[in-house]
Amino acid sequence: MPLTSRERVLTAIDHEEPDRVPIVIGVSNATGIKMGPYRELKRRIGVDAPDSYLYDWPELGTAAIDEATMRRLHGDVRGVLDLEPATVLERNRTREPHSDYVNSWGSGAVEIAPGEWFPMVEPLADAMTIDELERFPWPDMDDPTRIDHMRAEAARLAADGEFAIMATPWLLFPLERAFAMQGMDRFLMNCALDPEFAEALLRKIAGLCERLMGHVLDALGDDVDIIKIGDDLGTQQSLLMSPAMYRSMLKPIHAESIASIRRRTKAKVFFHTDGDVFPLLDDLVEIGVDILNPIQTSAGRMADLATLKRRYGSALTFCGGIDTQRVLPNGTPDEVRAEVRRVIGELAPGGGYLLASVHTIMNDVPADNILAMVDAAEAYGRYPLVGR
Amino acid sequence: MTARTEADILDALYRNILQGEAQPSVAEVRAGLELGSRPTVLLFEAMIPALEEVGSRFESGEYFLPEMLISARAMRAAMEVLRPHMSATDAPSLGTVVMGTVAGDIHDIGKDMVDIMLEGAGFSIVDLGVNVPAARFVDAIREHRPAVVGMSAFLTTTMPQVERTIEAIREAGLRDGVRIIIGGAPINDAFAALVGADGYAPDASSAVRVTKALLA
Repeated sequence: MPLTSRERVLTAIDHEEPDRVPIVIGVSNATGIKMGPYRELKRRIGVDAPDSYLYDWPELGTAAIDEATMRRLHGDVRGVLDLEPATVLERNRTREPHSDYVNSWGSGAVEIAPGEWFPMVEPLADAMTIDELERFPWPDMDDPTRIDHMRAEAARLAADGEFAIMATPWLLFPLERAFAMQGMDRFLMNCALDPEFAEALLRKIAGLCERLMGHVLDALGDDVDIIKIGDDLGTQQSLLMSPAMYRSMLKPIHAESIASIRRRTKAKVFFHTDGDVFPLLDDLVEIGVDILNPIQTSAGRMADLATLKRRYGSALTFCGGIDTQRVLPNGTPDEVRAEVRRVIGELAPGGGYLLASVHTIMNDVPADNILAMVDAAEAYGRYPLVGR
Repeated sequence: MTARTEADILDALYRNILQGEAQPSVAEVRAGLELGSRPTVLLFEAMIPALEEVGSRFESGEYFLPEMLISARAMRAAMEVLRPHMSATDAPSLGTVVMGTVAGDIHDIGKDMVDIMLEGAGFSIVDLGVNVPAARFVDAIREHRPAVVGMSAFLTTTMPQVERTIEAIREAGLRDGVRIIIGGAPINDAFAALVGADGYAPDASSAVRVTKALLA
């Protein structure tokens, strides 16, 4: 008997081989599809569904994928997402067209070309003292309109039982938030020049993240299988900061965040971190990460899938691995299939692998390549794996 | 306390830039000028060697972005104080470099690091900023007659803009007069060859090597 999607995912996360490699697509921004390719996909497969956006946030540009398309993509996971407070959503819906989008943190995006939004509104850009952090109007994490809808969505998915449920509260990555509040270069300089201030900002943010996460976990109860958190720690060739700086400033925050999730739920911890994070993998295992995402194979030592699997395959489930910098945007469908087959061959033996694109499928990816990716996963991902 | 010698000042200036201490770096430049040190001595015997050491520590994995950013900031602050004291003949420019992040892209940290490393190496920089349309690169080439044009793109979706910009430079009849170097997270040598750039550098300190090699 074939497994349900949920059984398939949970088996793989338990480092056993299910019936096929599970597929994660369209669940959150990190495994999402931008609106352009989503529209093309719907046309190609003959689905008539409205264009709606993840987090009701058009400026993010990532599509909320309809159920028919999710099924055609063999997606095994469904997301439950929070929302910005209703007042913030309404304020943005009714603002002057093309004016800056500002979220509940006071950070936001500027439209630099029609439909292209970049995070450039940085409300703490010039802050240098802990006193300024104290005086800042921080967001209200107790606003019930952030999470009211999540409880019913998760309960419906859980009662149905077919899919694994991943909760992805938005804007809960402390380092990403610090970059958004100060600007990446300014915050990184503060990390070096004034670690006490930088850490105070991270701690302030982390406290708010934990408060919202608490509400999310209360709302979901047992109706959740995977909790997504993270922080981008890598660059194309290295780390954003030294391992020593990570360990002193940020690792304790990530560790506390994971410990607090563990105290409240049996759900697995999914940690998203871009770039070449190879030097931090022992740390991430130590603090309790279950699922590592996105395995950016184009970045430094993350290309060495054999070593990743050999050294960390028993401790971590890998989610991602299908290249979005070259193969998906510029490859032919045949090249996409070959890459899917190669990555499955390296990461999927023994379970512990969830197939996904390395990051959001951007507007430069043809629908044919998305279909080639998921169909190849369906074809080459059958256990027992053959042709290795 | 005995008076500080030029060697003391050069040593402290080198150390402060290497450690990213902006105000002390500025103070050492002022102290050097007061003592009568030639600006070129401060530049070539302390500041540029410090920046080269920063680049080499970055490449070897001892320095990361925070350390490199604060050193670049210290270098910039020190240069601002030093520059008015230098005449054109003191330190002849190795050439002008027009830099920019291509249209549709606003990532600037990498580009800014390349600016500071190239300036430290002796180039004159004209930075057009971010989200720079092809036509502005073309105009800047006409205006500044650079030896080199540097373009940055951080996203796969803005990489095609690199090719379009190079094409616009060619259509304007300016391609043969400049060397073009490109960089940014998703870019590599193969892409540089494909779009007809002259060089690619994965990080700021190798950008200096690549640029010098192209002009050799």
